[in-house]
Amino acid sequence: MDPPPEQVNYICGDCGMENTLKPGDVIQCRECGYRILYKKRTRRIVQYEAR
Amino acid sequence: MDGGMSYQRFPKVKIREMKDDMVKFELRETDASVANALRRVMIAEVPTVAIDLVEIEVNSSVLNDEFIAHRLGLIPLTSDRAMSMRFSRDCDACDGDGQCEFCSVEFHLRAKCLTDQTLDVTSKDLYSSDHTVVPVEFSDPNDPGEQRGIIIVKLRRGQELRLRAIARKGIGKDHAKWSPAATVTFMYEPMIRINEDLMDTLSLEEKRTWIESSPTKVFDLDPVTQQVVVVEPELYTYDDEVIKKADAMGKSGLVEIEAKEDSFIFTVESTGAIKASQLVLNAIEILKQKLDAVRLSDDTVEADDQFGELGAHLRGG
Repeated sequence: MDPPPEQVNYICGDCGMENTLKPGDVIQCRECGYRILYKKRTRRIVQYEAR
Repeated sequence: MDGGMSYQRFPKVKIREMKDDMVKFELRETDASVANALRRVMIAEVPTVAIDLVEIEVNSSVLNDEFIAHRLGLIPLTSDRAMSMRFSRDCDACDGDGQCEFCSVEFHLRAKCLTDQTLDVTSKDLYSSDHTVVPVEFSDPNDPGEQRGIIIVKLRRGQELRLRAIARKGIGKDHAKWSPAATVTFMYEPMIRINEDLMDTLSLEEKRTWIESSPTKVFDLDPVTQQVVVVEPELYTYDDEVIKKADAMGKSGLVEIEAKEDSFIFTVESTGAIKASQLVLNAIEILKQKLDAVRLSDDTVEADDQFGELGAHLRGG
């Protein structure tokens, strides 16, 4: 039914390395082990009401 | 008419000044309820077209998506066609996605900054699918030659904004972005009567101080006869200062000022979406439609004792 979940990319807050996380993964940078990751903006179109 | 008292009146309009974005006119021989209804219709019920839906593809600017969407909504668009357009909610030709020519207009915006100079993204960067609905043009009063757009966002090197927007017809009552009116005001015309007999008891110096007591230049001294004359009654702001001054001088009743109850001076300023003169005409048209809705409604029972008089009034009696 649903299309396979898109890969979600995160950026490490320390070294800036790009990480790919799947549900259940430990939130940790693969490169440096830093535990703060930032989610990247979606590539999809987003819709807003101009109000 | 079936013998009852008639309430019908024939209001008179006199235009004083007319520019694209501003009109001044007098409305006479009607009452405050009509004048205020006209004012309120101009602000909240005359339709225009404004951006209502924004689909953002890329936004790497410093402003977040909803902030930009809100700013786009507030840009006035030329709306001369709005009166004959449909509201997208009751458009039969489309399913309300705002894609059809009867109820919506599509806009595209693509901007990317490639230099070290800050790039201003303005309303001029919005590309319309319909040449009759475009962002309003306006110029700097100090430099009337150049047309400037309305700044939406500023981009630094590498930042990009790419979006599609749909503009729809709407009214100011739903959201202020659809209001075609910048300001609509009316004032009561003042009636100023000077008690000449009492005025003659004042010395020249007293006359001068009394004239000076008005914060606006309503009165002046006639250079020939040295008498106090009303030079500009409409500058009177109903501040009562001259009346208080007369009382303080022990000359109560020196001047009598009252607001004429059937005479109004309107000032109408438009956002540029439609011409100010067209705004007034559209407002009258909408007011007429609203009165028709009351008259033709099944709930308006003409024979009803209580509303018989109202029925006669609505039938033009």
